[in-house]
Amino acid sequence: MTQANPAPQSASTKPPLIKRLLAHQESGLILVIILMSLGLTLYGAVRPVETKTAIELPENAQVLLLDDQGTVHESGTIARTKIHTYRVQTGEDSKDYPASEIKNYDSSTGILYRATKLNPFLNKSNLVLVSKDASFFAIIAVGMTGVIILAGIDLSVGSIYGLSAIVGAMALQALPPETGWIVAVPVALLVCITVGTLCGLANGSMSVGLGVHPFVITLGMMAILRGLTVVIPQELYGTQSIGGFPTSFTTGFFKAEFYGVYPVPVIIMILCGIAGWFVLSKTVFGRRVFAIGGNEVAAKYAGIPVGKVKILVYTITGALCGLSACAYLGYYGAAETNAGNAYELQVIAATVIGGASLMGGRGTIIGAVLGAIIIQLINNTLIIFKVDTSYNQIVMGAAIIIAVVIDQTKQRIQARKA
Amino acid sequence: MSDQTPNLIASNISKRFGITQALDDVSVSFLPGEVHALMGENGAGKSTLGKVIAGLHAQNSGSVTINGRTLEPGSLDDAFHAGIRIVHQELAQCPNLSVAENLCLHDLPTKGMTVDFHEMERRAAALVHQLDPDIDVTKPLGYLSPGRRQICQIAASLDKEEQGNMIAKVIVLDEPTSSLSISEASILMGITRDLAAQGLTIIYVSHRMSEIFTCCDRVTILRDGKFVATNIVSEIDEPTLVEQMIGRRIATPEAGAHSSNQSAETMALKVEAGTIGESPHEQRGDPILKIRDLSSPGKLDQCSLDLYPGEVLGIGGLVGAGRSELFDAVFNIDKRAKGSVRVGEKEILGKGIRAAIEAGIGLGYVPEDRRIQGLFFNLGIDENILAPIMKRISGFAGIRKQSDEIDTVKQRINRFQIKTASLTQTTPGELSGGNQQKLLIARWMTDQTKVLLLDEPTRGIDVGTKSEIYKLIREAADQGLAILLVSSEMPELLALSDRILVMGEGQIKGELKDSDMTQTNILTLATKETARTTAG
Repeated sequence: MTQANPAPQSASTKPPLIKRLLAHQESGLILVIILMSLGLTLYGAVRPVETKTAIELPENAQVLLLDDQGTVHESGTIARTKIHTYRVQTGEDSKDYPASEIKNYDSSTGILYRATKLNPFLNKSNLVLVSKDASFFAIIAVGMTGVIILAGIDLSVGSIYGLSAIVGAMALQALPPETGWIVAVPVALLVCITVGTLCGLANGSMSVGLGVHPFVITLGMMAILRGLTVVIPQELYGTQSIGGFPTSFTTGFFKAEFYGVYPVPVIIMILCGIAGWFVLSKTVFGRRVFAIGGNEVAAKYAGIPVGKVKILVYTITGALCGLSACAYLGYYGAAETNAGNAYELQVIAATVIGGASLMGGRGTIIGAVLGAIIIQLINNTLIIFKVDTSYNQIVMGAAIIIAVVIDQTKQRIQARKA
Repeated sequence: MSDQTPNLIASNISKRFGITQALDDVSVSFLPGEVHALMGENGAGKSTLGKVIAGLHAQNSGSVTINGRTLEPGSLDDAFHAGIRIVHQELAQCPNLSVAENLCLHDLPTKGMTVDFHEMERRAAALVHQLDPDIDVTKPLGYLSPGRRQICQIAASLDKEEQGNMIAKVIVLDEPTSSLSISEASILMGITRDLAAQGLTIIYVSHRMSEIFTCCDRVTILRDGKFVATNIVSEIDEPTLVEQMIGRRIATPEAGAHSSNQSAETMALKVEAGTIGESPHEQRGDPILKIRDLSSPGKLDQCSLDLYPGEVLGIGGLVGAGRSELFDAVFNIDKRAKGSVRVGEKEILGKGIRAAIEAGIGLGYVPEDRRIQGLFFNLGIDENILAPIMKRISGFAGIRKQSDEIDTVKQRINRFQIKTASLTQTTPGELSGGNQQKLLIARWMTDQTKVLLLDEPTRGIDVGTKSEIYKLIREAADQGLAILLVSSEMPELLALSDRILVMGEGQIKGELKDSDMTQTNILTLATKETARTTAG
């Protein structure tokens, strides 16, 4: 093999690492997340919330209430403010706790609660909670990013999620309660993902085959699938909710506890994000998605099977809705008919905040996942600031608009520089 | 070359789109190593024939044979594997992807599960750098200039086998220079010749006469979807080609003594525009448009000019010289422009597009951008013409007065000889390119318009309509309209303008009058002290 054309290598000097990192799409999002987290941490440090933790008392221990004179009082005969010391008497041993350390003493159960101050943001259960709430729709946002890069849209994701959850719940309910996770988890995954995949396949093939804009197809599917989600349990069980799954599926798997938190949905989100990033940026299929979004005609002329790629992207999105629904079933242990209501908006918002362009051709998975986390951080902020949750929508809407405006300005500046 | 046997034969091709017979029993054969032009007016079927050969369109009857093998009709894949490549008119590329990805899109190299980015960039660089070594293949394609994008597209067709043989046998170039500047176009024509010298068959679809004579060996003329003739370029002259194209002969200008420095093409255009022998317009009275120190960051640098009523002021220069940017600034589209633009005594800069229109400025845009910046393809002919003045001729609370509107529209349609089936029902999409362009100019020919900005008014339209537009432009000037004309077609610029300003690097580099108005002078000024002007 001869090198026929020794092409002159363009000596492209790479800018320093910091600059390259800053130029990245996701750097702005990470910066926002860091700033929000810092702010919330500081706020939490200044204004910690008081919580109580039970002090483990030895068996046969007796709690004595002492006033500042050292006199022992019966519980209920002394005002809280007068108590100076709580003494825990176990046989000969005794241990004193100053009143300032103690939150309260429950005389009926005999439990002494220590007053603890907790940073309302920076504690592991809150952090996992934020990520967990984000994970259910971040998983779907992975697929939605592909759809939006194609210059498409999928409004039916919330309904697919709902329907997958209901059908999955029916399957789980039919299993005997003592079923092991080795059976329950694959069954649930199979059922949920199959339902989601079929719905996504329907979306994609209808929009490609009939040549109708996906907005219309998925708008129709959103209503149809939501209708099915409500009708099926109503007709079969007469309820709005299906529960009663094998515990091996819920607390045994999707709500398994590790070090006091429930991280399984978050782990699934991270795995989906990595897989999605890999597929979109590293595989031929992923690059074809970008090509179609950038110029569908050019993609066709380059011999890319445009229709097939599109159908596949919608199908994958449906499958991810199913996966997310399965995680939801396992985490909450029941399916409601309104599961995933208005999820399409949250999912699209996450994708768009993450830098995807509704005109197609641009978007990143990591951005979408970070976008989902930002949405949940905003929620969390409002909770920490004790703002009524009704205000959420207002703040969220404003955040979406601001994020997109900033992103587009950045794009314009970059294009002008180049 | 003439003793060679053809390697590509298109025989008895017919193609219908709805009721339009785009190609009617056309047979052409192509030789290896030749640049073979397909020419014709708009709608003659030249692009369609190119697309049928490349498998983008399936013919209704007839066959395409390459080296004895008959291609499956309408199969891009089959044509591709047979070595036919098409470089498409509308720059069919993905601007969001890198140059390398665009070049390898049909066959991304893989390593295991992933795209092999390294190999992809190596391959792309090997292809692109033989044409232009300065292109960074990792950059998004959208960041490149139109000329470089075109070069990348041609490079994409040059992939080689392992042994170093070119896989491509035939390259169809569909209007390759329509969006390029003069210098970029000449680079491209050089590349075209080189490729033919390597044994490739180049099918060159174009309507630019000068390019046919610069770089083509043979030219096939189509008219109304029918084959007219295949000529050897060296044995034919321009008037004969034009005659073949439009089916009648345009009077050839006598080589006038006073215009020996102007090309035959310019002369022919002057004849058509009716300006031959005419002395330039006197600069009467005060300038109607006064531009002083107009600057815009990265686009314009201290531009000043005076435009008098009744004159056509041509603006020459290369693509990227700032000509269209000047129009954007005058029309208040560019919000960052600073300086002064006065219509009469009225300052309009920075007061919005509305203020520009009300002061009497009209903007006629290019066909290239016709779809984006010019016409409403969802509205009728009437509304397209009336768009800027609809409010003015409406009654109370903006309720439209149908009869007044129709009168105005009829008057305009007649004057411009726009051929349309209906005033209100026909949409611009149903008109031919030339009529679309006339429509766009007609929109601004109101009593109120004092200054008309024309940006490439005849780009992409056929010879017949061109001459009509030239006449309209001259007539409008005779009636006192001041016209600022940007054109990349030098003969056109020279034929229509009373004076010419040459731009470069966003500055006005100089003014040419009378006998100084020649192609050479324009190019000299345009490229003056420009170490870094090359589009990029």
